[in-house]
Amino acid sequence: MIDYRARFRTNLMIAGCGLAAFAVVPFVANSGLMFLAGLVAINIVFGLSWNLLFSGAGLLSFGHAMFFGGGAYAMAVVSLRMPEVPFVIGLALGAACGGLIALLFGIIALRRASGVYFAVLTLAFSELVHILITKTTFLGRNDGLVGIRRPVIDLGVFSIDLTSATSYYYFIIVVMALVAMMLWCFQNSPAGRLIQAIRQDMTRTAFLGVHVQVWQLTAFVLSGSIAAFCGAVMVPFTQIASPEIAYWTVSTQPILFTLLGGAGYFWGPAVGAILFGTIDFGTRTMQGLSEITVGILLLAVVLMIPGGLLGLLKRRRKKARRMAEGSSPAQHEQSGKTEAGQ
Amino acid sequence: MASTEPLLSVRGLNAYYGGSHIIQDVELDVAPGECVALLGRNGAGKSTLMKSLLDAGPRVVGEVRFDGEDLAGIPIDMRTKRGLVLVPEDRRIYPNITVAENIELGRHAARPGSVIASDELYDLFPLLKPLKQRAGYQLSGGQQQIVAVARGLMGAPRLLLLDEPVEGLAPVVVDEMAAHITRIRETRDLALLIAEQNLSFARRVSDRVILIDSGRIVFDGNWEDFDADPQLKERYLAV
Repeated sequence: MIDYRARFRTNLMIAGCGLAAFAVVPFVANSGLMFLAGLVAINIVFGLSWNLLFSGAGLLSFGHAMFFGGGAYAMAVVSLRMPEVPFVIGLALGAACGGLIALLFGIIALRRASGVYFAVLTLAFSELVHILITKTTFLGRNDGLVGIRRPVIDLGVFSIDLTSATSYYYFIIVVMALVAMMLWCFQNSPAGRLIQAIRQDMTRTAFLGVHVQVWQLTAFVLSGSIAAFCGAVMVPFTQIASPEIAYWTVSTQPILFTLLGGAGYFWGPAVGAILFGTIDFGTRTMQGLSEITVGILLLAVVLMIPGGLLGLLKRRRKKARRMAEGSSPAQHEQSGKTEAGQ
Repeated sequence: MASTEPLLSVRGLNAYYGGSHIIQDVELDVAPGECVALLGRNGAGKSTLMKSLLDAGPRVVGEVRFDGEDLAGIPIDMRTKRGLVLVPEDRRIYPNITVAENIELGRHAARPGSVIASDELYDLFPLLKPLKQRAGYQLSGGQQQIVAVARGLMGAPRLLLLDEPVEGLAPVVVDEMAAHITRIRETRDLALLIAEQNLSFARRVSDRVILIDSGRIVFDGNWEDFDADPQLKERYLAV
């Protein structure tokens, strides 16, 4: 039996525990570490948005930087050129910018390509977006846009001051936890299940009267919007939007998070993003060796633990359970009854 | 006077997988409400013919008309929404969602105003009632096949194409499936084209039989005519 309510409660608890852990950071760490933790929180949802497309819809994207960068630049432009626009509208515009890029690209690419060809097209299109940014004076060319202020959200009755790094950090972790849970709810909604059905068997799902491309495009736009939202949230935190955030290396990040954590698990990219952030932090002083260390570690994890860390944990748990059952048949019988009862 | 227009009309149908010419000059009709068995050995072209009717897989040349409309250029999902629904072989249902959700997915095939109510569907397949919340991977092969057929019916099709619905099932499950199909025919205005190798099952549920061999139709008639020529069975169905 599948008990979706119990699953929701479990995942809500996971999100809550994660939020609590991140909330402690400002009390136990310096501002530099808090800054990194804020970026990790953003990366978690960035990774989840990519995995929504990969494990959800079965579409491989090598170009998620175009959404992330698109959202970041949209937010930066709104913040610097249209300061009268409320911050929340700026975030919505950032997400909409990513959604629009995904829609335009998806309409072209999903008609013409699938599999690895689709992935290569996303990479090419992402590079196009990156080059456009570096050549556009309005977007600051190679210098990017700097001096983005953190906002004060005016809610009429009261206002929320996010101008300090710490207050904005709390804003980030709360918003990211909410978006992560919204993503979980979407994946477990009828629409989310339909998209997963397409990944499992595209032709068979078409036999059910489903317009496969329309639903793949829906997943692509949703994934792009969320990635762009992450970029839009990040910009006031870092106070700069530079072309590097739309560079192809940014596109590799959610892929690495997902492979590290485990693509088959909803929270896989979250585990990967936290681990990646930790490794990155631990190797930051190794001049010139940081990337090599990160690369070797990633290679080792991907080659030795194909299901990611969560996959490894699951296998270990199964093995431990089997061993426990083998050593105590009476206990095994009891456990079986309990499971059946649930 | 009742209309004699067939619901499905196939003329000069040829289907190819790469350079292999699988279906050759097939012509067949299925009337509204009729149940036709498509019999043939493994590799005779039954599944390819079924998929060709939906333009799903092989390269297809020829005319497929459904309810008088030429289906050329119409994609799979739109053919399905017109009421031409295929339940393909090997019954793959979605393993990580419940039986109820698997069946609900079939609702996408429904035409406006022709949705079948869930209660009605579960009345047709009472065996599924206690399994509604069970995950797809927790079902037996027979249960999975019944879910696949129920899902096909969810969109209230006008012609249901069943590709080997009892392949690999235990005799008692085959009997259940035959009973289900008989009940469906009694309660729904539905035509069926069933690709099968199980002769006794096909005989129990269908009105007419078509034999296919090496991609060609070699016999099209009623069961009396089929029985009158024992060589048909010997030549085209014996292993």
